[in-house]
Amino acid sequence: MAPAVSPFLDPGTSSSAHSLGILQLKRDHLIPTVLSDAASTEYAEGNVVNTRFGSFTHSSLINKPWGTQVLASVVDTGSRGGRSKKRKREANGEGNAAEDAVGSEEPVRGAVKAATTASSGFAHLVPPTPETWTLCLPHRTQVVYTPDYSFIIQKTRLRPGDHIIEAGAGSGSFTHAVARTVFNGYTGLDAPEEENDEHEVNGTTSRKRKRRQQRHGHVYSFEYHKPRAEQLREELVSHGLEPLVTVTNRDVYADGFCVDTEEENAPNADVIFLDLPAPWLALKHLTRSPPPPALVKSISSDPSTPTAEPTTSTSAPLPPKPFRSPLNPKTTTRLCTFSPCIEQVQKTVAAMRSYGWLDIEMFTMEHKRLEVRRERVGLAEEGLRGANPSPATVQEAVQRLRDVEDRAKVFHGLQKEKQEQMMRRAEAKKRGEKAPAAESEADGKQKKTEGLPPSKHDRLERASKDSESRALFKEGRLVCRTEPEIKTHTSYLVFAVLPAQWTAEDEEKARRKWG
Amino acid sequence: MHSHVRPNTHIALRLPSGILKLVETTPNTNINLGKFGTFSSNQIIGRPYRLTYEFLEQEDPKAQPKLRVVSAAELHAEALGSDYAAPTEAKDDDAPAEGGVAYDIVGENGEVIMRNNRLTVDDPSRQTLSMDEIEELKKAASGSGKDIIEKIMASHLGIEEKTKFSLAKYTLRKSRKYLKRFTVLPLDIPILSEYATEKEAYRIMELRDDSLCLICSWANVHSGATSRVMTSEDGTSQIGGGRWLVVDDTGGLVTAALAERMGILYPPTEEESSDSEDGDEEGLPAEQNGDTPVTTTTEDTHMPDATTDTTAGAPNGPACSQPRSPRKPRQQHIPQSSATRNTLTVLHSNNQPNLSHLKYFGFDSGDPTPSHPLYTHLKSLSWLQLLSPTDDPTYFEPDVIPEDTLATLKSSKRGNYYRKRRRWERTKRVVDETRVGGFDGLVVASSMEPVTILKECVPLVKGGGQVVVYSPNAEPLVQLCDYYGKERRTAYIASQFGQQNGKRKQNGVDEEDEDDFPVNPTLLLAPSLQTARARQWQVLPGRTHAHMTSKGGAEGYLFTATRVLPIEGKVEARGLRGGKKRKTGTDTSAPA
Repeated sequence: MAPAVSPFLDPGTSSSAHSLGILQLKRDHLIPTVLSDAASTEYAEGNVVNTRFGSFTHSSLINKPWGTQVLASVVDTGSRGGRSKKRKREANGEGNAAEDAVGSEEPVRGAVKAATTASSGFAHLVPPTPETWTLCLPHRTQVVYTPDYSFIIQKTRLRPGDHIIEAGAGSGSFTHAVARTVFNGYTGLDAPEEENDEHEVNGTTSRKRKRRQQRHGHVYSFEYHKPRAEQLREELVSHGLEPLVTVTNRDVYADGFCVDTEEENAPNADVIFLDLPAPWLALKHLTRSPPPPALVKSISSDPSTPTAEPTTSTSAPLPPKPFRSPLNPKTTTRLCTFSPCIEQVQKTVAAMRSYGWLDIEMFTMEHKRLEVRRERVGLAEEGLRGANPSPATVQEAVQRLRDVEDRAKVFHGLQKEKQEQMMRRAEAKKRGEKAPAAESEADGKQKKTEGLPPSKHDRLERASKDSESRALFKEGRLVCRTEPEIKTHTSYLVFAVLPAQWTAEDEEKARRKWG
Repeated sequence: MHSHVRPNTHIALRLPSGILKLVETTPNTNINLGKFGTFSSNQIIGRPYRLTYEFLEQEDPKAQPKLRVVSAAELHAEALGSDYAAPTEAKDDDAPAEGGVAYDIVGENGEVIMRNNRLTVDDPSRQTLSMDEIEELKKAASGSGKDIIEKIMASHLGIEEKTKFSLAKYTLRKSRKYLKRFTVLPLDIPILSEYATEKEAYRIMELRDDSLCLICSWANVHSGATSRVMTSEDGTSQIGGGRWLVVDDTGGLVTAALAERMGILYPPTEEESSDSEDGDEEGLPAEQNGDTPVTTTTEDTHMPDATTDTTAGAPNGPACSQPRSPRKPRQQHIPQSSATRNTLTVLHSNNQPNLSHLKYFGFDSGDPTPSHPLYTHLKSLSWLQLLSPTDDPTYFEPDVIPEDTLATLKSSKRGNYYRKRRRWERTKRVVDETRVGGFDGLVVASSMEPVTILKECVPLVKGGGQVVVYSPNAEPLVQLCDYYGKERRTAYIASQFGQQNGKRKQNGVDEEDEDDFPVNPTLLLAPSLQTARARQWQVLPGRTHAHMTSKGGAEGYLFTATRVLPIEGKVEARGLRGGKKRKTGTDTSAPA
């Protein structure tokens, strides 16, 4: 059962059953879950999300305001129906992070048992966004990450109401991001005619009628791999995005991008995104008029083209059906290809030039996240966690050296004294005299060490004692640095545009009109 | 939106040197491109965007200059720097064939042998033309400038010795300087941000394209035109509905970018339904006129009249020479800033918001046009109005004059009265609804201390809403991350629960709290800091490499976090030990 409006587009005020919610445990540790109020075969408490921060029952997640901090529940995880971890991982589909134990939806006898709150453990329930989804989606192929898709959306001028072709849907991160961007309502979900909107125009009836004909944004997604296309389709249904996205399982090299839907001339695309191994082979389908066969052949018969099935399919004779352009004839078509290798880029760009694409530009996105922390350095940190116990300043270093020296001096003095005493004692023994009192000796030692700098043991003890009264959260120097692992290369982003067709007759008309 | 050039809109022209020039397409005016020449705006209005025009050679220098559309094949041939330096027309067919083979360093047939630069002489005297001679050529030449380039190239002594690449580079450099061409580009966010970055980066806080797009993504900004208007449990405040709160010190660039993603930046056009009947044309705004190429001749002749009855271009002044069309029904008053969904609320530190960049999109915040979507969807209020509305005079209701007295007043006075009342209504509405919060997100690009902004604004964001802060420098955001960081949060919770642990003295706790915890760290989840830079590459056959130079300056950093609702009471974190090595007990969180 799909939600009325996608939680990606309009999550509302709180979570609801059958809708996607995301359980955020840590910054990069998110668990997507389609919330279900049905009983589960596994747990008496209904469906449960098990995490390392505790178990969360769906009943504790449904109808909670978004952003709520949710406490873990006490769930008997030991006596469930003997489902092995392995099987759990095999189960695929929506919300299938390793820890996500959303079971089957078969109802069991009896009502869902109310769960009691555990004494510790919590998570936050956040609404899904393409960004959070990108962080936790089930990987099927290489993911187009947020910095890349943000830049692509910007560079291709994707806007609400646009139609976009996406070939190579992959894991669906890009699909979600562009669906959000092109969204401006869909059939059955139109912008409500606010009173203001009606007044906004002169109020002529013709204008109003036109407003309702507003073009809705749409994503035409193509995926070569059938199971992946299926998965994406299911995913989109459970996310409530299916009215916005048409998923087609197709080899676009051979069969192009035209689809038969209720809408005329679909896809009628303004923007094209190709995440394909050989984008240059798909370009022949992205023209405004039928490309000359010789040109198509010269590009596809390039000897360096991978010898996969694309080559065979393109060498097949052109389909007999009449040419239909998948592009919106009225707008500049914006194209982006996403290829990890430079060789792919070179071939793609050569093909783009041949097909008349303009403003060809290539970018790579360098993105890093920074971690912020406090760096505490100093002798006072000795023995404490997360700090550097070496001297913070030259003065501190000198002082420490002095202390060590002082201690050594006293220690040596004591040693010497001890030796002398022993000598004396030995001599006395020899002479048969009585040994001097040992107590006075111990007294002398204590006296000597009293004024001394503290020993290491003492220092550690003191540091740990002091640390309790220190406000460590604001001590030390605030620093930032690149996170331990960065993505240094994602893919090459090639952008190009294809202006609307402009013929001599059009020019003549425009000249008559504008002079 | 940008299918073709409409009259009375702002467009960008890219000159061969790569420089952008912003112009307004007022019909029947001349557009001056300096040394490149002058042409009439009517020569590009109604034509598609992204076309490249070239000035045609003309016998008579005083005649109206003629423009020619340069074909794609021609443009590419020049960029590639093929052996034949300046290819002319009739290239449409052979260009592709070259694409494959001819530009390789060594052709498969061994035909093209790569020259090397062993013999290159670096000496300016190799160019035999003197500067004066070139100047003279420039004066004499009319049209595209190709002849100048050809002559300059011909008189270079070492042209034969140049390697293929250096020759291509030389040709390109000369083309940039002498070709009389321009490309017509739609004025949209990427172009505007490029223009502003080049021209006056300090005015937009050195906000680059690549940071701007991240702001839009992380703020989760999208069209909320269909969002449900929902109220919170107490029934008074609105939650969500596609409303974003913006603090914008970039002269409106950020606001414009967000508005573009919400579909409220561009004045309405009818191009989506261009199968309009001719009868509709009259009543429609000017932009539509160019949209229907199939019109009768009579229509064509009086079209310019219709354009004067302009709506979109109005703030820029109806500069057309034709008289105003008399048909103008008295418009019903539309309350400004009255939309309940899909809105942007701009917080500004001066009396009026600085949204000057919106003028390029037909919106003047001082004198907005009711037909522009931003008229109802953009709201603005000052910090004073937000924090202490009673100190702001515009928040107080002006005296009500009874209807019958009003009827006796002079029309100017009456107008004044209505204007005041409307201003009050608008201010009150915007202030009241902003103060109750429930925004879908917060976007900050301000030179003010971010901590002070977030202290006031984060509580206004709904649970699960996104908070994004841009800063040209890392330091302010690093500090922000620290204030919302894990350790500070733990300490904050501890202090809230009065767990003294011998840590704090009883006296002066409040003051100390204000210093130590200027913001409530439990309101934001997963504060992160990031930076991004798009690196541009040159892609020419055999010459693919990253650009050697690019702009330095501010790197541009982004702070992102999610607004959350902490539970009342103390919460203990827990983690399962073992397995993966990870810190446990890191997240301790609790009360509001």
